[in-house]
Amino acid sequence: MTTTAVRPTAAASRNRTGETARLVAAAAVVVVIAVGSIFVGVSDVSLPALVANDAGAWEIFWVSRVPRTVAVVLAGMAVAVAGLIMQLMARNRFVEPSTVGTVESATLGILVVTVLAPDSPILTKMLVASVFAVLGTALFLAILRRLPARNTLLIPLVGIMLGGIIAAVTTFFAYRFDLLQTLSNWMIGDFSGVLRGRYELLWIVAVLVLVGLFAADRFTVAGMGQDFTTNLGLNYARTMRLGLMIVSLISAVVVTTVGAVPFLGLVVPNIVSLLFGDNLRRAVPWTALFGAAFVLLCDIIGRTIRFPYEVPVGMVMSVLGAILFLFLLLRKRNA
Amino acid sequence: MKKRLSSYIGALVAGAALLTVTACGGGATASSQPGEASTITIEHAQGSTTNVPVNPAKVVTFDLGVLDTMNALGVEPTGVPEASYPEALKKFSEAKYAKVGSLKEPDFEAVSSAAPDLIIVSGRTAGAYEELSKIAPTIDLSVDAAKPMESFKAQTEKLGKIFKKEDEVASKLAEVDKTVADTKAKAASAGKGLIVLTSGGEVTAYGAGSRFGIIHDVLGVPTAADVKSEGSHGEAVSFEYIKETNPDILYVINRDTAIGTASSTANPILDNELVKSTNAAKNNKIVNLDPAGWYIVGYGLNNVQAMVTAVADSVA
Repeated sequence: MTTTAVRPTAAASRNRTGETARLVAAAAVVVVIAVGSIFVGVSDVSLPALVANDAGAWEIFWVSRVPRTVAVVLAGMAVAVAGLIMQLMARNRFVEPSTVGTVESATLGILVVTVLAPDSPILTKMLVASVFAVLGTALFLAILRRLPARNTLLIPLVGIMLGGIIAAVTTFFAYRFDLLQTLSNWMIGDFSGVLRGRYELLWIVAVLVLVGLFAADRFTVAGMGQDFTTNLGLNYARTMRLGLMIVSLISAVVVTTVGAVPFLGLVVPNIVSLLFGDNLRRAVPWTALFGAAFVLLCDIIGRTIRFPYEVPVGMVMSVLGAILFLFLLLRKRNA
Repeated sequence: MKKRLSSYIGALVAGAALLTVTACGGGATASSQPGEASTITIEHAQGSTTNVPVNPAKVVTFDLGVLDTMNALGVEPTGVPEASYPEALKKFSEAKYAKVGSLKEPDFEAVSSAAPDLIIVSGRTAGAYEELSKIAPTIDLSVDAAKPMESFKAQTEKLGKIFKKEDEVASKLAEVDKTVADTKAKAASAGKGLIVLTSGGEVTAYGAGSRFGIIHDVLGVPTAADVKSEGSHGEAVSFEYIKETNPDILYVINRDTAIGTASSTANPILDNELVKSTNAAKNNKIVNLDPAGWYIVGYGLNNVQAMVTAVADSVA
């Protein structure tokens, strides 16, 4: 929250090589954690077994371990980046897709398909969830435009209320159709069901994160407001639509494949902002890396804490995320 | 002061309800043989209820197991919960049976206007016992998970006593006992079993002593893994866990069909390479248990027979 530099200043470009080196180092750390994640599980997959070309170990490696780790990395990066973009669009640090109705709308969408056409393929579910997510998020942004003053507290409160209303509708129908426990499966993210052939649609979010990375500067500008954006020669409406699509699609895809990953979109961008300031071009890669590392660690904890049983990653994340966030806030206050 | 007043009013209301009920009971027994008690005392999970009418005309039950038993004995209930009824109990979704709340939450007004002579609650609605007792004599026929078979038999015998169907209950329970004994004899050598529940893409394992534990505890199927599930919800497991425990028989309860979200009987969640590598899959011993019967209905006279028979077939 110090300097808001859209174009890199002279000092920033001097730091650029150092910055790249640090990013590469961070990426290496994420890779190390990911490799660690590959070797955590119930079946015996060890490095010696893989080297000895043990067919059983290699099968588990490809069928179960690699898909799970890739799914965790993709979901972690995407949800964190979606949170960041949402915060820029709403011009508020305290919103994320799961507190403004995006995730709730996506869940409502899945519920609607599940009730109307229970046997429809996952791609259909995802499409419907995406449409609902786009509508829900658009509704939030439309309400924001009509708010009289840009009050820091009012925006997240409106988001929470809107999310609450949508969640209430969802819960009501889930209750009527005896789907409450299935609903809780979608609301608590869990990677235990991920296998080869069951997560590949998550690659969609990788594309969305890349789009977010390249459009990063635009969101920084759009975050300054409509007039400012137009003055800089950017199409404000189009930029907002792009952000809306990225955030909604990421939320819908993640909810349909692994379930909601709470808190991540709020905590990670704020941590990155506390550490590196507000330059979005820098913030996007850092947010993606932090998101991936955080979910990887939480998933490893979830798999080992009650071994051989699992604790849903969403639960681990809520606890760790809250502690981490509090710690950072308090540390900053003291410094 | 305020509290004392409200409890006084509560006692008064309860007293009035009691008076009405005994009055009704008195009228009903006028036609029965002289000397026979019109009410009996039933000991149950939450104490004893002294004024349970014999052959009550209007019964409200919140437990589908009890409903299944009543259905087996040919006793018609007045009020039943609003639920997605499985095939065997489909007729209770008709409007002529008053809907008195959900499986978990009684609708007290609906119960009251059904003017029951007897209310039966169980595990899911046990918490409403006190309140429902104020409306009519209420008994809690929860089945004790620690000793399910004994408990189920005791509860069913109580129902037999209330509805004067002791002989029918005894003969049907003897039938269940026989199937259990037959199953037990074969189960010991039929291989190790693992019980899993699938829901929304995820798998939970259940062990001995769990809500589906009668497969191990009563029917004697050896356990493929020592699943320590506390409470009724099992343990979340990965497919690797299923592969490593390598059960000879995999019992599957697909919760998504119990609640009508997936219409097909094939289970897409378990259709993967890791599950296919188990002995159960190789020997074609992936047993799909009737989800409604196991998950929703539970301990009813017909249903327990069906549950036991399903396991008996799997070890035959």
